[in-house]
Amino acid sequence: MSDVVLQTRSLVKHFKSRDGAVRAVDGVDLQLRRGETLGVVGESGCGKSTLAKLLVGLEKPTSGAIAVRGQDMVRLKGGDLRRARRNIQMVMQDPYTSLNPRMTVGDIIGEPFEIHSDVVPKGKRRQAVQDLLDTVGLNPDHAGRYPHQFSGGQRQRIGIARALALKPEILVCDEPVSALDVSIQAQVINLLERLQDDFGLSYIFIAHDLSVVRHIADRVAVMYLGKIVEQGHDVAIYDQPTHPYTQALISAVPVPDPRLRGRRDQIVLEGDVPSPADPPSGCRFRTRCWKSQHVCGEQEPVLQIRERSPHPSACHFAEVRRVR
Amino acid sequence: MTDIKGQVDALPGTDPRAPLLQINDLHVEFHTRDGVAKAVNGASFWLNPGETLAILGESGCGKSVTAQAIMGILETPPAHITQGEVRYRGVDLLKLPEAQRRKVRANRIAMIFQDALSALNPVYSVGFQLAELFRVHRGMSRGDARKRAVELLDQVRIPGAKSRVHDYPHQFSGGMRQRVMIAMALALDPEVLIADEPTTALDVTVQAQIMGLLAELRRERNMGLVLITHDMGVVADVADRISVMYAGRVVEEAPVYDIYARPGHPYTRALLESIPRLDLKGQQLSVIQGLPPALTDIPAGCAFHPRCRYAKDPCRQDPAPPAYSIAPHRTARCHFFREVLGE
Repeated sequence: MSDVVLQTRSLVKHFKSRDGAVRAVDGVDLQLRRGETLGVVGESGCGKSTLAKLLVGLEKPTSGAIAVRGQDMVRLKGGDLRRARRNIQMVMQDPYTSLNPRMTVGDIIGEPFEIHSDVVPKGKRRQAVQDLLDTVGLNPDHAGRYPHQFSGGQRQRIGIARALALKPEILVCDEPVSALDVSIQAQVINLLERLQDDFGLSYIFIAHDLSVVRHIADRVAVMYLGKIVEQGHDVAIYDQPTHPYTQALISAVPVPDPRLRGRRDQIVLEGDVPSPADPPSGCRFRTRCWKSQHVCGEQEPVLQIRERSPHPSACHFAEVRRVR
Repeated sequence: MTDIKGQVDALPGTDPRAPLLQINDLHVEFHTRDGVAKAVNGASFWLNPGETLAILGESGCGKSVTAQAIMGILETPPAHITQGEVRYRGVDLLKLPEAQRRKVRANRIAMIFQDALSALNPVYSVGFQLAELFRVHRGMSRGDARKRAVELLDQVRIPGAKSRVHDYPHQFSGGMRQRVMIAMALALDPEVLIADEPTTALDVTVQAQIMGLLAELRRERNMGLVLITHDMGVVADVADRISVMYAGRVVEEAPVYDIYARPGHPYTRALLESIPRLDLKGQQLSVIQGLPPALTDIPAGCAFHPRCRYAKDPCRQDPAPPAYSIAPHRTARCHFFREVLGE
């Protein structure tokens, strides 16, 4: 399959802590094809942001492999690594803290050209920055302004322009719209979709907001405590979820339609997510799961297609349940 | 319990037939270096016992400032209430001396916040903080107050309340912390609970737990709940009525079913249309052009007119549109509400 642009194999990241290791990402396999959007959803602490950092090389994996267009990012070094990293760039969550307040917007967007000096010759960088501003819907004449002179939505556009500077094929977007108001969210989502069409970009789109992910993603991976528990096309995940956690997660999302009040199949989970420093044995979800049986504590369920799950699901008792 | 309460915090002038809470034409200004920021510009709404009123709006619309004005916890200066009334059972709280006002807080009207970690004191156990309320407001002994604290933690469904009462805020998870704050707000049996973005910082599965708990407690106590939020999903799930705020004004007020079915103000309509919806996958989301106005420079006429697709000449001129009565129990501040309703 030549159109796979990004692939991870048994990707693991453990952080050392006083009492052992926090298993933030604990064996993640995923694939991203050209022009596709893979949504990654999960609650805080499930490891989705660590996964993002691993993918763009901001964290070094404890073990496992990340291949961008077939090149092993973990093994590459020096100039080869630098060139390979151009292909995968990141849009951060918080447009208020991810832009240096002392740099002009032009310098922020142009900084990647300083580091990767062979991408755009020096004389053409100003123009390149203006083109990028135009691409993301900002006024090219505002390159001399500072981040505080822009609104939240505009700042997120600046972050996107910076990520696009090196003409990557893949963008890793870590909660790119969660800090924005609804009316501004829609503008940024539309922009991301247009850029994807214009440049043939592939997205890893990480978010906790399931309705945003549903809107933008072609495929969805659901994470819980460092592992993907269910993966499939958006329709499969939202309409025929087979993992109890996915079912609970989807049913917990409030629907903006009062007529459905009290008529939805709502699963309210007990308790909180266990600590990733000391995850439960066997299936990690079993401590909050209503289907849990003896086998769940003994044997860890593998993410695979099962008798009653037409798409990969990591549950011994996987079974379709429509939750809305 | 009730006779103790009557004794402790009798409030002269209350009229049991008056609405539980009524806000009339509230104005709040902030004096800043950049000029006067008009955070609230004539907000009005009311609340009945047992009812859930959602105040819906985006950042900077004045919803939190309104809540703080009702509670009397606005920092003055820079904030000044320049006009309006906050009536609790007919008594205008803004005219009460501070000593009386303090008795209203927590006893009659209580509030919970978005960020429980910063709303709780990190150096005292949650049991101490809860017990303190009973000792100060009810003059209970240490032992009795501690007992009540355990009961309260139990009422907000914190498992193992008896032992957790000794824990400090940082030892609780986000959801559990929010429960502690709810327990604290409900300690003195208030009749009104104002919840300012109570679940915004929480994960969806925990949000579902907390919203369920709030609904249950409201029913049990026949409490009026003011839910301040930007989340139209949460509103659809729990509210009876909605007040939509924009640039410091309530631009539309309606029962929840009506507003989702047929919004009467262009802003409400645009907000509803910008939510990603199942049946519109693959299509562009409809957006509201431009940005909300700076509060130091609110446009003349209808504050929404620069972003509004229905805007015509009258919208650009003062005075701002009045609250037109567009249907029973419904108002909208839009000259062209008929067009928006699709009539």
